[in-house]
Order: sequence, then structure tokens, then C-alpha cells
Amino acid sequence: MTAIIRAEALTRRYGDFFAVAGLDFEVAEGEFFGLLGPNGAGKTSTIKMIACVQDVTDGLLEVGGLDVRTNDRAVKSLIGMVPQDDNLDEDLTVRRNLEVYARYFGVPRHLAKERIEEGLALMQLDEKADEPISALSGGMKRRLVIARALVNEPRLLILDEPTTGLDPQARHLVWRKLRLLRERGTTILLTTHYMDEAEQLCDRLIIMDNGKALSEGRPRDLIAEHAGREVLELHLPPEETARVVERLAPMLGESGRIEQVEDVVYAYGVDEAHYRTVEEMASDPYRVIFRRANLEDVFLTLTGRGLVE
Amino acid sequence: MSAARATSTGRGQRVRSGGVVPWLGIAIPGPRFIAVWQRDRDVFLRLWKAEVLAPTIEPIVTLLGLGLGLGAYVELGGDRDYVEFLAPGMLMVFPMFGAMFEALFGSYFRMDQHGTYAAIQATPVRPEEIVLGDIAWAATRMALNTGLVLVMLLMLTPWLGFVKSPLVILTLPVSLLCGLLIAGVSIAFTSIARSISQLSYFFSIYVLPMFWLSGAFFPTDDLPRWADIASNLFPLYHAVVLSRALTEGDLSWGLLGNLGFLLAFLLPSLWLGIWAMRRRIIRG
Repeated sequence: MTAIIRAEALTRRYGDFFAVAGLDFEVAEGEFFGLLGPNGAGKTSTIKMIACVQDVTDGLLEVGGLDVRTNDRAVKSLIGMVPQDDNLDEDLTVRRNLEVYARYFGVPRHLAKERIEEGLALMQLDEKADEPISALSGGMKRRLVIARALVNEPRLLILDEPTTGLDPQARHLVWRKLRLLRERGTTILLTTHYMDEAEQLCDRLIIMDNGKALSEGRPRDLIAEHAGREVLELHLPPEETARVVERLAPMLGESGRIEQVEDVVYAYGVDEAHYRTVEEMASDPYRVIFRRANLEDVFLTLTGRGLVE
Repeated sequence: MSAARATSTGRGQRVRSGGVVPWLGIAIPGPRFIAVWQRDRDVFLRLWKAEVLAPTIEPIVTLLGLGLGLGAYVELGGDRDYVEFLAPGMLMVFPMFGAMFEALFGSYFRMDQHGTYAAIQATPVRPEEIVLGDIAWAATRMALNTGLVLVMLLMLTPWLGFVKSPLVILTLPVSLLCGLLIAGVSIAFTSIARSISQLSYFFSIYVLPMFWLSGAFFPTDDLPRWADIASNLFPLYHAVVLSRALTEGDLSWGLLGNLGFLLAFLLPSLWLGIWAMRRRIIRG
């Protein structure tokens, strides 16, 4: 498999602040790749460099085998970009938005027409084609921005937090469309601070914090490696928490760990026996949760902080 | 890692990305600016009914109001009426507002409020081409408005004798040229504005003086020397001189100086607008 993105020691500096501080990763053709991290982790800066919207401060960055610094036009024509904000043309209709965008890529008219109708159908917007943007819901706008990013038939589709601000239903529809695109062979790079989004969609991902990669791998492997199978969550009053932790800590094996974020305590490397013990001690068993580990736990064990603050 | 080290350029000699020519500070814009011009045109065509009334009516109301009202008290050399003196200026002065508003408010909204620039930035269109497309559209607006005023003047010519030469059609390219200069300077100002309200500074310090010193309302030759010189530094003044000559069919070699001024400042004005706004866009 050939790499469509290759980054080595990639760095982006603003004055004295390093938004991206030496990032190494590769994305293979056909992969669904994720950058997961909290706000300010450097995800958006990374994709802006890939899309040639921001300059690379240092390091190597190749897209489709081309250095982004010297091939901005060629690289941009390979990419479809879905930014965080729906920067659609409010003064134009749905279809006109796509036509105007196709012109920026120099897509010939008849070809653009075909792709636009196809994109509208794919994103279930064909009925809205002649409506103004103001007639669209938040989820429809998001899907339109995705359709817009497809007018140049990109080899690489980049989505910057595509479901932030959407209600659960709209979110699931966007996810379904993205999975459909992956099945059709589009390489997708996604940034998100939602661990469930990353876990649901990504073949492989990087967990980022402070401009650096903390870990890289397939979601389930990362969970198994850093958080184990199950997690105990304690939502108990402070004194009670202290008592429970005092009891629980010696019971845990070598892989066990206890983390506290704000008022919640997380215990890793636990099994059902631990859960029983804690549940019996707790004044309200409802406030003790025993569940499968997820990517949020991976981030937590790596940084001691939660993903969404 | 070795590959990264080999291509990494290190401090002090960063690769200028995006085709930037070092001594210009910008990349030379290519034909893709036309796609941006087309976008602005498409938006205009959707809203045109609301956009053409004011630029048609305002100059004519001003012309008739000042020309017939104030004109009764104004004595010009020869047997010319003041209203005839005013008419050629109306082909440039009010249309100028079209270019200016487009490059100030229109561009500000596209840059800061609606994310239009940001959306285009993710395509092969370079920032330089985004700005040039916007400047070209603003200039087009000016020429379009000149056309609207010209139609009105032609309709009134049987009674008020405004248009005396078919050369008047050449006011359209003059208007376009002047519009490019005005839009270049205006969009440079837009690039440093931090809020919409700051755009009115530009109106006060540049546009209003240019408006009154344009030579459209009174000849500037008899003004104090400093004011006469100042008027000559504004592109609008030269456009009005040319418009007057073309409307009246009164050509002279001196007009080459006015045309020369507009041509000489064309590239510098475009460069200024593109260079300044590019900085704002890529900082984004």
C-alpha cells in the first residue's frame, strides 16, 4: 500500500508556541485515519498544513508523493476539505454552491454537472437542490459541505470535527455517509475530540496532545494496550471515594491503575471481582459503573486528563 | 528521519510556499481569479434587483438637484449650464462608491463573517487569486454602475444636452480601470480593519476627500495650490477629466497624462491590495 500522506518531524510554530511539535505519521491509500485529541492538541493545524492552507514551519510533509511546500496547487487539487465551520455561500442555492466550488477546481462544466447531481443524491440533498442555504438544517449543511468537498473527486477527504454541534440523529447520518465513502475507496482523514466517533469510524488513529502524538494504532489495540478490557468508574462523595480507593488499590495487579479526573475516579486493570467489592462498599451502587474500556480511557491513562473539558 | 533532515531547511531559509516571488512578496496570480469573479457575479445576479436601483437613481437625483437647483446660482464661463458641467462627473463619482463598497464591506464580509475566503483557500485557487478576483469584481461593479448612469444621461440628453459625443462609450473602460485602482487601495484597507465600523475611517480619510476633490462638482484649478495638487493624487480626478473629455468629445494631448496616471498606478494598486489582503488571509 502506498502512503498518501507522509509526515516526518512535522512542525508548526506561531511565535514561541508550537501548535504541532514534531509529528510523524503515514496514511495509506484507502485508509480511514483519525487524529484524536482535545481542543488545542494541534489537529486543525496539522490538517491545515496538509491542505496547504498554512505553511509548514519545519519537517517533511508529502501528500500524494508531493512536497506541500512546493506543490500547493497540485496537492490542493487532490484534496477535498470539510472545515469545522459550514462556510457555505449563504447567498446562493444548494446546487449553485457546488457549481461555484467546482469552478475553483477548474472542473469542466459537464463533468461538474454530473458529479454535483451524484453528490447531492449521495448526501440525500437532491430534494433541496434549488433551496437557499437558510432552508437547510445543521445536519444538511454538514452533508452539503461534504458533497462540496467531493466535486473534485478527491483522492483524500479531510474532515475537521465533522459532527461537532450536530444532534445525535444528524450525527449518525453523517457517520453513515462517511462509512459509505470509505467503502467506495476514498481515503479519509478525520479529526475529532469525540472518542466514540474515532472508535466507530477509524481504521487507525493517532492520539494527540500538545502538538505531539501520544500513541498510534488501531482503536481496539490501543484500548487493550493502555486501558485493558474493563473500567470501574466511581461517582461517589469525596470521603467515600477515599475509603473505596484505599480498599481497591491493594487489590489491583501490576496492570492496575487509578486515575482521578475532577470528581470522578477511574480504575483500570479491573475485573468483575473488583466491581463486586466496590459495589458492596458504596452507599449508592448506582454511582459505581463497570463498563468496557474505550478511547477516552486511553487518553486519560496517557495524560491524566479527559478529552472534552 | 533522515529524509526529514535532508529536506528540512532549518531556520532563516524557509521555503517560500505557494509560488511566492520573494521580491514581490506575492505569487503572480493566474487565470483562476476568474472563478472568484464569477462567484461574486453569481451572487450579484441573484440579488441584482436590490443592487441596481440606488446606483442608478442617486447620481441622477444629485445631478438634477444640484444642477437645476444650485445651478440657477452658478455662473460658468461661456454659455454652459452648471447641470451640463456636472453630468460627466456623475459617470465616475457615484459609480466609484460601487467599487469602494464592494472592496470594503463586501470583501470584509467574505473575509471575516461568511468564511468565503476560507472556503476558497482549500481549493487550488491561491490567496492572490482570491483577492484579484474580488478586486476585479469591484471594478466591474463600478463599470456597471457607469453604464447605468450613462443610460440615464442618454435618456435625458434630448432635453438637457448631456452627451455630445459617441466617445462617451469609452467611459466604460476608463471606469473599469479607475475601479481597479480604487478597489486595490480599498481592499488593502479592509485587510487591516478589525471590525466593520473601522471601515468608516477609510471613508473619512480617503473617500470623502477624493469625492469632493474629483473635479466633478467644481473645477479644482482655482483651489488653493495644495488642494489642487492633492486632487491630482486621487485616481478619481483623472477619471473625471477623461469622462468630461469623452462626454463632450473634446480631446487633447493632455488627456494622455491622465490616462498615463491611471495606467502607471494600476499595477502598484493591485499589488498593494493583493499583498496586504494575502497577509490577512494566510494568517487566518
